[in-house]
Parts: sequence; C-alpha cells; structure tokens
Amino acid sequence: MSKQPRSRVSALAIAVATGATMIAAAPASANDRLVEMAEDPSNWIMTGRDYNAQNYSEMTGINKENVTELRPAWSFSTGVLHGHEGTPLVVGDVMYAHSPYPNTTFALDLNEPGKILWQNEPKQNPTARTVACCDVVNRGLAYWPGDDDQDALIFRTQLDGHIAALNAETGETVWMMENSDIAVGSTLTIAPYVIKDMVLVGSSGAELGVRGYVTAYDVKTGEQRWRAYATGPDEDIVLAEDFNEPNPHYGQFDLGTETWEGDAWKIGGGTNWGWYAYDPQEDLFYYGSGNPAPWNETMRPGDNKWTMAIWGREAETGEAKFAYQKTPHDEWDYAGVNVMMLSEQEDKEGNMRKLLTHPDRNGIVYTLDRTNGDLISADKMDDTVNWVREVQLDTGLPVRDPEFGTRMDHNARDICPSAMGYHNQGHDSYDPERKLFMLGINHICMDWEPFMLPYRAGQFFVGATLNMYPGPKGDRQNYLGLGQVKAYDAISGEMAWEKMERFSVWGGTMATAGGLTFYGTLDGFIKARDSDTGDLLWKFKLPSGVIGHPMTYKHDGRQYIAIYYGVGGWPGVGLVFDLEDPTAGLGSVGAFRRLQEYTQMGGGIMVFSLNGDGPYSDPMVGEYVAEEGEDT
Amino acid sequence: MKLLTPITLSLALLAGPALAYDGTNCKEPGNCWEPKPGYPEEIAGTQYDPQHDPAELSKQQESIAAMDQRNAWRVHHMKQTGEFVYDVRQIPDYDENTSPPSP
Repeated sequence: MSKQPRSRVSALAIAVATGATMIAAAPASANDRLVEMAEDPSNWIMTGRDYNAQNYSEMTGINKENVTELRPAWSFSTGVLHGHEGTPLVVGDVMYAHSPYPNTTFALDLNEPGKILWQNEPKQNPTARTVACCDVVNRGLAYWPGDDDQDALIFRTQLDGHIAALNAETGETVWMMENSDIAVGSTLTIAPYVIKDMVLVGSSGAELGVRGYVTAYDVKTGEQRWRAYATGPDEDIVLAEDFNEPNPHYGQFDLGTETWEGDAWKIGGGTNWGWYAYDPQEDLFYYGSGNPAPWNETMRPGDNKWTMAIWGREAETGEAKFAYQKTPHDEWDYAGVNVMMLSEQEDKEGNMRKLLTHPDRNGIVYTLDRTNGDLISADKMDDTVNWVREVQLDTGLPVRDPEFGTRMDHNARDICPSAMGYHNQGHDSYDPERKLFMLGINHICMDWEPFMLPYRAGQFFVGATLNMYPGPKGDRQNYLGLGQVKAYDAISGEMAWEKMERFSVWGGTMATAGGLTFYGTLDGFIKARDSDTGDLLWKFKLPSGVIGHPMTYKHDGRQYIAIYYGVGGWPGVGLVFDLEDPTAGLGSVGAFRRLQEYTQMGGGIMVFSLNGDGPYSDPMVGEYVAEEGEDT
Repeated sequence: MKLLTPITLSLALLAGPALAYDGTNCKEPGNCWEPKPGYPEEIAGTQYDPQHDPAELSKQQESIAAMDQRNAWRVHHMKQTGEFVYDVRQIPDYDENTSPPSP
C-alpha cells in the first residue's frame, strides 16, 4: 500500500497480511465474519453477495449442460404490488425478503418455505409515497452477524426516511432512527450496507432538490458515527487531508461551493441511492453521488461538485480519499449512483491492479484504481452515446459535444443516452474466470427542453420536459428494442458479445462458475445465457416483469436460483400509475408505452432448482398433522 | 439541390458560436464550466435568475438538525435504560431545544 496507514488501519492491514495465524489469535471482527460467511455458498449475506459486489457464484451445480432442466421449486408472494427491486438475503436456513412500500420484512424458513418465521411491517406516513420520484421501490436489506453482546441484526430502510435494526431471529425492532425527512422531499429507497460495526445509509430526493448525504450509524445503538454531504463546504463533504493528492487535476478543496453560484449547493442534489462496495484491506468503501438539482442546467452554472462523482471513503471516519467527477455540470440527469464492482486484473502494462468498474448512466463504463482513484479506462458501452466525444484519460475530462447539450429556450433532440441512462440501478456481475463484466444495458434516447421553476421544500424541483424513445439500434416505430446485454472486458475495452432485448435490462445480472449469466427482464422472464457466447440457453415466464437481480444459494446440498418479480421502478411508472401522457413519469411513460402488453404488476420471489427439486419434493413436508389425542 | 435561404443561413451562423462549451477549458483543476455563448456567466439578475428564497434553502438543514437531536435522545435513553423508545415525548427529561446530557 502506498498510503501511510493510521494505527487502526495498520492493525487491520497486519491482520490481513498475516492471515490465518492472526485470525486464530484474535476474535474475528464483524468484517471478517461477513467475509467468511460470504465465502460459504449457503449464504448470500449482502447486496452483490460479498464486499467485491461481483454477483458471482463459484457454484457449478447448475451449468451450461443442465440449465435446461431448471424449474421452479417454490415461490412466495409479498402481498404487495409495485416495483420489487434488489434481491433477498440468505443466511443459513433463513431467507430474508423485503418489499416495496410499506417495506415489510419477511423471514422464511428454507427447510419449509411455506412458513413465514416472522414479519415486521412498519407503520409509515402514506404521504411518503407522494414524494417518491420513481415508484415506491426498495433495494434490499443488510445483515450484521452479531457478537457476544448483541444478537444478529437485519437492517431495513423505509420510504419514510427511517433506518431500522431488527433482531434477525425474532424480527423485533431493536432501534429505529430518522435519517431523511419526507417534509422536505427526502426519502429512502437504498439498501443499507454493513461495514464493521456500522450501517451505512444513503439518500434520495434530488428530483425534489434534496442535498445528498451518506450516514454511518452504530449497528448496536443507532448512534450516528459520521455524515458526509455531496455538496457545500469541505467540512460537510468530509475530505481527508490528502484528498485527491494522487490526482490533483480531479480538483481538491473548496470546490463543493466554488463550482456553484451562491447558495445553490444547498439544494444541489447529489443523493446516493445506488450500491456500495468495500475493500477491507484499504478500509475504503465506494459509491457514486447522484445528479445535481434541478434538471434545468441553466439554473445552476458551474461544475456542481461533488455531484456525479465516484467516491473512495474511509469506512472508519467517512473521510474521502479520492473523488472523480464523471459528469461535470450535468445536463441530462445522468445520476451517477450505479453499481461498483471490484476486481483484480492486469492493466495494459501488465501491472496487477486493484480495480473498480462502474457502468454509469452517462453511457461510459469507468474503471479506476480503487486504491488512489487513477483513471484506467472509460469506454462507451454503446457506440451510439453522443453527448460526449470521448473521455480523456490523462485529464479525466469528458469532451462534450455541444450539439447534444441542453439549455433554456432550446429543445435538444436525439440525445443518447436518455435521462434513464444506458445503464440504471441494476446490480450487474463480474466473472473473474472470464474477466468479463455482464452488463444489463438500456437503449433509450431523448428530446429535452428545460423550463424555469421555483424551489419550495417538499415539492418537485425538476424543470425539464422529456420525450424518450428507443435508441438507434431499436425499433423507434414500434417502441421496442430498448435494451441490451453485453459482456465487457475493462482492460481491452472490448465486448465479448452483445445481445438486444425487447425492453431495458433494468434489474442487473448474476454470473456463475457454471458458465451462465442470469438476469430478469421487464417483460417477465428470467433468462440464462452462455457467458462465453451470449447464447440464450434457458428462460422461464415469471408472473410479472423483473427489476431486481438474481441470486443463488445452496441449501441441503442443492443449488437454487432466486429472483424477485414485480414490475415497477422508473420504467414501470406508466403502467403502475396508469399514465398516458408520453412526457409523464419524467418522460418514461412514452418510452415504455408497450410494456403493458407484456406484463402487469406483481410482487414475489420465484426460486428455481434442477428439476424443481426442493423442500417439498417429499409432499409430506409441511403437512398438517393433528396433535396426538385429537380425532384424525 | 436546395439553396439555403438567408434566414436559415443566419440561423446557422447563430448556432455556430452557441456550440462552444466542450468542458476542456479549465479555470483551475476541477473547475471547467463555461457559459454557453449567449448565456450569462452569472445568472443572478438575469432572466434566468432562480431568485431562491433563503428561508426555503435553509429548510433541509433545519430538518436534519431536528432529526439528529431526536435521534440523540433515543440513543441516550437506550444507553441509559437498555430499552429503545422511538417516541421522544415518552423519554423522561426530553427537551426538543436541548441535546441530551453527555454521558
């Protein structure tokens, strides 16, 4: 490591360096426990499966040869409609499931999944629904393994702005804190994330002018450890003394105010509602800040830092070691919150690098050295991206094509990607054997015209009218061909294969050592493709469209694949809220006008195995048996 | 071939300089914004002045401070009693104007 670690980091670094002996000598930290648990294929204990956020499984039980025998083993309805994002967690014999608003949490017994072990439904102010920009979705749960003083915990965010800790065994609420206030348009849809004995909570609401922040709470008490904002004075943004020292050209100090005019940063957006990744050796976690507010670019001159940035922050203190702004002065709502996938690969010069790969809304896949923020590659995920000519790797600057910028008193046309991005909230995967990222991509472009509007806390603060439609490779007459799936090599920049999809691949992907890449589609299928060729090997028609990512776990020696169904999210708002104006739903209603011909709302989990074998292969499992002494 | 009319020609000329900001001319590291031709460097006092109300701009920070204060009381009470109480009005000595006593 090039940096000078602090004493507490040194201890961790030594523990990692000396490996097993150290683990035997000292009690394992929560980090180590989670890392260990993630290695066991019986578990899927966090978003992205482990801290590398690769959505990759070493299991080979289900593979290219036998995937055609994949069948549903069991299913579960959450009892709620609206978009079902994220993926369930599995810890040992229990599956933990979450739902969209009202954000009920369920624990299911994997030995007998017909049995709901507990459920915890929060009472929420229904007004929260009115300030959700893009359906009442939620992206998942988090798990903390417990210690001598405290039982294991499940963490849940709620649309109404609360973060709650639930006893993993009983479902009882251990504590609940206020993180976001719906009265100012601030909600929560992000999944919480556990690092050490802290739980991280992001933020939503840039469409209502909410200034973004990330907060760390003590897992046991809910006490706030630190909070870091995306805009404003450096002390609010929580910058390390050597912030961006390896790349001073990214910008360093005072830019959270200097790149704004006046106090506009106070309502400047930059919320983070995407995903996290964490490198325990560096003690850095990674995430992206969202778009600036409002969408009307003319109302906020400047680079608007630090919205739209990739962050590397110290988990312990929250201090930012580096940040790279992908989209200075956003003009398209390319909210930069997308998935962060960690890998270790040789760069073009043959040096082994610790990397972070990030498919952004703006159509570029960024790969950075995750120890210092060095820009390694920045490739267009499709050649039809036109707002930017290229990203200069030496300066880090995107060379904008002024023809596809937006501005007041002007209707910009045929901008690609659209505000929905060429990639959105889907949590993708990385196959470390093939060194390929399996990207679920959108193929949507747009026309955009901004308008002036005032800021009133609690009201929408967008200021743009959009028309969205399929990209150049889709069918613009029939509004189909809105998605793609591709296998991307971050070092060569090449696509190993690419396939078109009818609708956007919104939910993300999962890859396995069986050579398969799984994903769900908005038109209601779970599909399995050959990771080497992209050939479609299997699919199944689910009850509703998918906007979450697949997961896999082993139980009783058998590999299962699970996925949420329940269409919604931004692409589903037209269908979900029964809208017809093509510019409604922030422009998505027009783009997805055909979706309702293929799916309706739903909500649940479908679990697959080879031949559909599972807990109920013996039909007597779970049957009612009268107590002794009763009539039979 | 259709001849360009004087009107389309003049529009094309106007459109030319309006296409200039490409993001590569930086005032300082990390500060590379430029106004698009025909648009102001500063919007205050122009037709694009957002005229934000300072009272509205401060609402978020006030709301966060109040939430943090309530949370601090919840944590304080749980640390003292081992029991979690969400409703701060049920917490003895709760005062919305002060922070809980330091441990």
